[in-house]
Amino acid sequence: MATAATNTGNGKIRQSVRGKKSKFFKAEGVDELVSVCMTLAEELWVVKERLAAVEALNAKERLFSEKDLDRMAKSEKFRAAMDGESRAFIDRVFFVLREQAEELDADFKEYPLPDAP
Amino acid sequence: MTKHVTHDLRIEPTSDELARQDFMSNMRTYVLHDLANGMRSLYDKKVEPAFKRKKKRAPKDGVEVHKALKDETYFKFYSSMRCNTQEMVFRSVIPTVERNQQELKTKAKAFSKSTRKAKGTLNIPKGFVVPRSVSALDVHLMPGNYDTEYGKDDVVQGAIYDNGISVFSMGFFGDRLDDIGRSIAMFIKTRYPKFNPERILDMGCTVGHNTLPWAEAFPDAETHGIDAGAPVVRYAHGRAQAEGTTVHFHQGDAEDPGFEDESFDLIFSSMFLHEVSPKGIPKVFKHAHRLLKPGGLMLHMELPPNSDLPAYERFYLDWDSYYNKEPFYKSFRDSDLVAVCREAGFKKKDFVQFVVPSIQGAGVKTVKVAARAGKSKADSDTGRFRKGVTWFCFGAWK
Repeated sequence: MATAATNTGNGKIRQSVRGKKSKFFKAEGVDELVSVCMTLAEELWVVKERLAAVEALNAKERLFSEKDLDRMAKSEKFRAAMDGESRAFIDRVFFVLREQAEELDADFKEYPLPDAP
Repeated sequence: MTKHVTHDLRIEPTSDELARQDFMSNMRTYVLHDLANGMRSLYDKKVEPAFKRKKKRAPKDGVEVHKALKDETYFKFYSSMRCNTQEMVFRSVIPTVERNQQELKTKAKAFSKSTRKAKGTLNIPKGFVVPRSVSALDVHLMPGNYDTEYGKDDVVQGAIYDNGISVFSMGFFGDRLDDIGRSIAMFIKTRYPKFNPERILDMGCTVGHNTLPWAEAFPDAETHGIDAGAPVVRYAHGRAQAEGTTVHFHQGDAEDPGFEDESFDLIFSSMFLHEVSPKGIPKVFKHAHRLLKPGGLMLHMELPPNSDLPAYERFYLDWDSYYNKEPFYKSFRDSDLVAVCREAGFKKKDFVQFVVPSIQGAGVKTVKVAARAGKSKADSDTGRFRKGVTWFCFGAWK
């Protein structure tokens, strides 16, 4: 039988890989920390790239001052909009923990994999 | 730099998603170049000398290199970061696919139905059973593999694969992600100018990246592609129609592909055999022999066999078998390719093996020169994403 869709109701596509996860470090949690650090690095880069674009645009157009930026960052409307973004950000960075929870729900019998030497 | 999808099934990432995708491409470069070179230095300067002192000889194969390296912290970071990078490549494109999934489905269906630019067909047989080696595995850490379906006429896994491979390949597969097919098709046309196939079959074609170059190299031929995953062949067909290239795509199993005996002149595959179970390999080759007309050519692009490589390179490529959910990778690369062809009915004298330069990396002229010379020995650039990359292929004439 073809694999059943993991989540058809709300159009969500599964992001986690099914089956056994490779572990490399003996100390508990280090593999997960590597994953979190890499995602943080990725997200930091997204911010740096966005900021560089904003700075380049501002330099070209002289659109706003630093005071304007502060005012915007502190406004209720802006902070409310950022709230949802921030939750999605946390979910991305700590994805490895969501993956572990999803694994418990998965009704999936994986094809046998070879043991590492 | 990442070469993002440009055909008519492309989807628009947000600027943050685009930044994530470009970052992951660079992260892969860091892991596969910088960290991989660091691990090689560690091996040459510390691990191998220690092994030699203890055993009075060098490691004889990839397994011994693996055992000698696996307790090194550097190996653990390399491996952990490489796994994470692989998973994050696909995760970097999934939100874009998710947001566009309805539009993608509608577009793919419309392109499939339209015969304005191309006349390819799509065959999704009712009741087809996806082999367990596909349905029970998220191969190369791609969530959902090639076959997961999120509803009727779904193309999600095709889009994840297409966009994911664009990030994964770091530009080495060229603008249309077809460098393997394009380079090998040109090599074969140059080396065998009288070979003019009328019917071509690409086995395990996924979204048709390396199928279309054959149809374009031999425009008078009838070209077919089969793959076990319905979403990837639906996507492949929509993409080919949008590109104006006529290819007939089928959901099918290369271990039992159907088609009439002696009905193809060329049977090709790329990066496919290492995803077939050891039990399935003889079946794939026997069917290839059955399907080929006398005088036809079977040609498979793969990672080079372990017998052609020194111990460290064997370890390096075998890594995927243990950690990248490629369980058949090592067993296939350990096999005797001449013997596999012979067991299927091909003759030893008709066996061929080539190392083909990348058109994207080396240019058309280099590919043509290599085709005339017929270079066949793999080296440390073969199948590796770096400057000077070459593609290994082997097969046999019938």
